[in-house]
Amino acid sequence: MILAALLLVTQVATQDPRLERLDPDTRSAVVAVLDSARDVGLPVEPIIQRALEGATKGATGARIVAAVRRLAIDLGTARTALGTSASAPELEAAVAALRAGATPELLAHLRDVRRPPLTMALSVLADLVASGVPADSAAAAVLALAPTARDADLVEFRRAVERDIALGAPPGAATSVRLNAGALDQPGANSASNNPNSPRPRSRP
Amino acid sequence: MAPRGVTRPRPLSLCDAATYAMGIGKVEPSDAELVRRIRAGDTGAYGALVSRYRDRLGRYAVHMIGDREDAEEALQDSFVRAYRSLARCDDPARFGAWLYGILVNRCRTTGARAARRRRMFVHDAQALDAARADEADRLDWTDAVDRALARLAPDYREAFLLKHVEDLEYEEIAGLTGAGVSALKMRVKRAREQLQKYLREAEHV
Amino acid sequence: MFEREDETVERVIQHLRRPMAIDPGLDARVMREIAQAPSPKRRARLLLPLLAAAAVLATVLIVARPWIWNSASKTDALQFVLVAPQAASVALVGDFNDWDPARAPMETAHGVWATAIRLAPGRYRYAFLVNGVEWRADPGAPAAKDDEFGTPSSVVTVGGRGS
Repeated sequence: MILAALLLVTQVATQDPRLERLDPDTRSAVVAVLDSARDVGLPVEPIIQRALEGATKGATGARIVAAVRRLAIDLGTARTALGTSASAPELEAAVAALRAGATPELLAHLRDVRRPPLTMALSVLADLVASGVPADSAAAAVLALAPTARDADLVEFRRAVERDIALGAPPGAATSVRLNAGALDQPGANSASNNPNSPRPRSRP
Repeated sequence: MAPRGVTRPRPLSLCDAATYAMGIGKVEPSDAELVRRIRAGDTGAYGALVSRYRDRLGRYAVHMIGDREDAEEALQDSFVRAYRSLARCDDPARFGAWLYGILVNRCRTTGARAARRRRMFVHDAQALDAARADEADRLDWTDAVDRALARLAPDYREAFLLKHVEDLEYEEIAGLTGAGVSALKMRVKRAREQLQKYLREAEHV
Repeated sequence: MFEREDETVERVIQHLRRPMAIDPGLDARVMREIAQAPSPKRRARLLLPLLAAAAVLATVLIVARPWIWNSASKTDALQFVLVAPQAASVALVGDFNDWDPARAPMETAHGVWATAIRLAPGRYRYAFLVNGVEWRADPGAPAAKDDEFGTPSSVVTVGGRGS
């Protein structure tokens, strides 16, 4: 019964109509990657999306297959670092963070200090690097904020850093300043719930 | 006294700022480039400038005016004025500082109107209810700060915010406000003294 | 509790320096206002805006604040906007719609292209496809740096349970 179910799942996957946008050779290579990924319990949807992105963008089959393989490998690295309970969005964000220069050790540390989901923390890390912040500065900043900051605070932090960079600050310096300026709510006196300037709905600390 | 050319507002300077290498090049175009595009006909590029400066200038406006709605109106107005007089922006690389000047002046107008209406800091209704629910007799610290700020004379508040929150140099503030450097220093000093006084009073309520 | 005076002021300063998020809708209001009354002071070589005197120009990405929905795992609509007065068509494509240009064609009013889609929590790569051939990232959004296909993309992350 279980075997039949597994086979059925496999069948359905290889018949994913979306993959028909790929030429046959590319499709079979991609399907092979999907099968391997599924075998080790990695989410396949991100891999499918990457293939479809390549298809829409008119990339060559070779490029699509290379991208898909690289993603599968990185998803595996992410999953090793974050653990098997990591969700697909967390893994995708982790891949972005890894590619931005975060180490698997950093990811594991993040998992230890922050309650899931880690998606936003990892995303912000990757986005900071994309804005020009050196990877180690971004990592240090996110790690420092991770234990107590809400997702919304992390987003605000990123936007604040991007504003400073836009106004001319060196990206690493902008990150440090924002971090040290206590840009986020700390438990206690300055709780955002009492700040009338906060755009967030009031919540109890 | 002829004010020196206004330079772009800088973040809090760090002695080791120079040691931070510039990271990956910025993805977004510079202010000068955007201004160039706007002048060449790409009006939509102004949206990028608005986006870039919105939060940073908004922070000043909210603190200066004390009312979020009025502040956003002043901010919006300043952006529109800046666009309409863009031809008069002599140094597009210093668009930010130039825009600052427009905002500072615009906030003065609102301040005068607000004073005439005897407008107080308006907290959102939830925060007010919760404050009452919390402790009827004692003001939350952040509320106390907002009220103390509102009690400052506009000149003092303006100088204090530009110096300590927006991190401008006295020469830059002189350029924006037309006041002399020593007068500004006196205003900042008075602002600090008065803030301390008002906050001490608030503690004893 | 007694505090040294300059410590009090420093606390005030740190409090005031906290970044403030202004309603991103302000961008659109500014652009609308600009479009409605073209400035006579603009330099004469601005031919396009003169032609499009009634044009309404919107902003770069207007993302409704995702943290508002942080407490619930429901999906909510995010707005995506691109200013492209010259375009004949603009499609939003990304991880949320199989990168299929047919799934999210954007609607236009006077050069402003917009659409809104519901997104479950997660991180999404996306881009705009202009006239079916030109790829554009979203100027207001973080860039997707790991671009393997040679065209620009952007990222949007929606927080909340389920991510």
